[in-house]
Amino acid sequence: MADTTKTSPWVFAATISIGLIVGLLSGWWSITRGLGGESYSGWYGSRVTGSADAGPWLRARVAISGLLALDKSQAIYFTRKTDDAGEPLREECSYRVNGGALPGQWWSVTVYAADNYLPLNDDDALAFDATEVSPDASGQWNAMLAPVRPEGSPWASTRNAGNFDITLRIYQPSAQAQADFATITMPKVTKMNCGGKA
Amino acid sequence: MTHRAKMILAFLAAAAIGHVGLVLFMPHFLMNVAMDRVSQDGKLINQFAFGSRTTQNSRTVVRPSPDLAYATCVYDLSDGPLLIEAAPSPEQGYVSLSVFAANTDNIAVFDTSQSPDGIRFVLAKEGQATPTGVKVVISPSSRGIVLDRRLAPNAELFAAADQARRSDKCQKLT
Repeated sequence: MADTTKTSPWVFAATISIGLIVGLLSGWWSITRGLGGESYSGWYGSRVTGSADAGPWLRARVAISGLLALDKSQAIYFTRKTDDAGEPLREECSYRVNGGALPGQWWSVTVYAADNYLPLNDDDALAFDATEVSPDASGQWNAMLAPVRPEGSPWASTRNAGNFDITLRIYQPSAQAQADFATITMPKVTKMNCGGKA
Repeated sequence: MTHRAKMILAFLAAAAIGHVGLVLFMPHFLMNVAMDRVSQDGKLINQFAFGSRTTQNSRTVVRPSPDLAYATCVYDLSDGPLLIEAAPSPEQGYVSLSVFAANTDNIAVFDTSQSPDGIRFVLAKEGQATPTGVKVVISPSSRGIVLDRRLAPNAELFAAADQARRSDKCQKLT
């Protein structure tokens, strides 16, 4: 038997409207959730950031969180929002960043607040880079992420950063690093204390 | 088809349009916002604008790098191709020129490790006449951004990079 039920224009309009809203919300969620890309020891990176190979979803994610990013021949980007224990990075805590040689001509680690901009502080320490760290005999280096300047260590200030994330940029990466991010030994991020308490 | 099926179909179609539409729209929208900001609402087209040193107050583009000096040219190829040039920084400091289309794609990038004497190319749209003997980059869109990045992690290096980039060109072919 044929269905002869007539749809009220208002019901139809409401159905379309709700559908559009659900679609917009799901679209927003899909391009803002997480960091996208693949995880490498807690750092997230994508091989197609900035390139024409990025699909629509990744392109939209990059537009929101990293507009005008370079492609991997010039720079590779890794971002993390958590420490090595999986806890969110928080302004009131201090973290040690420890790593070895990174496969590029130059690298830096920068702090970003949740709004994707630099934290609003005047500590003149928005990042630390390859020229500031002092590798030991085995090539290992240490730096700090902290709201106050630590003694005798390169640092990036997290003052006024709230729950923050950090981005590692490796400029002019080696061919091997470009081809396989998994070959990169990523720096570790270890929480030292929060509010001065270990 | 039953009434209920039609309504479910209408709902799903609307949801798909909303989802995909937003995903496709965002890059163009954000790129337009960036182009408007960088060009000071269209006043600086086909010429480089030189950013000051990145600080906590830099709010033009998300996630700016405090290690770099940026110069930006919002291009418009409607009236013909452009000549793009970037001079090297002192002591072969890192310099790159990257070209972004209106959908945010990085369509070309050059750096001074490939071109130690400086970077030079013509930026054109498909079908526009271009000179021979020079690199040509074809943009899929009339508008977009050319971005000059120079390594400048401290005030001294920033001053040197700033001086070098002042001879950059983003101008109509003569």
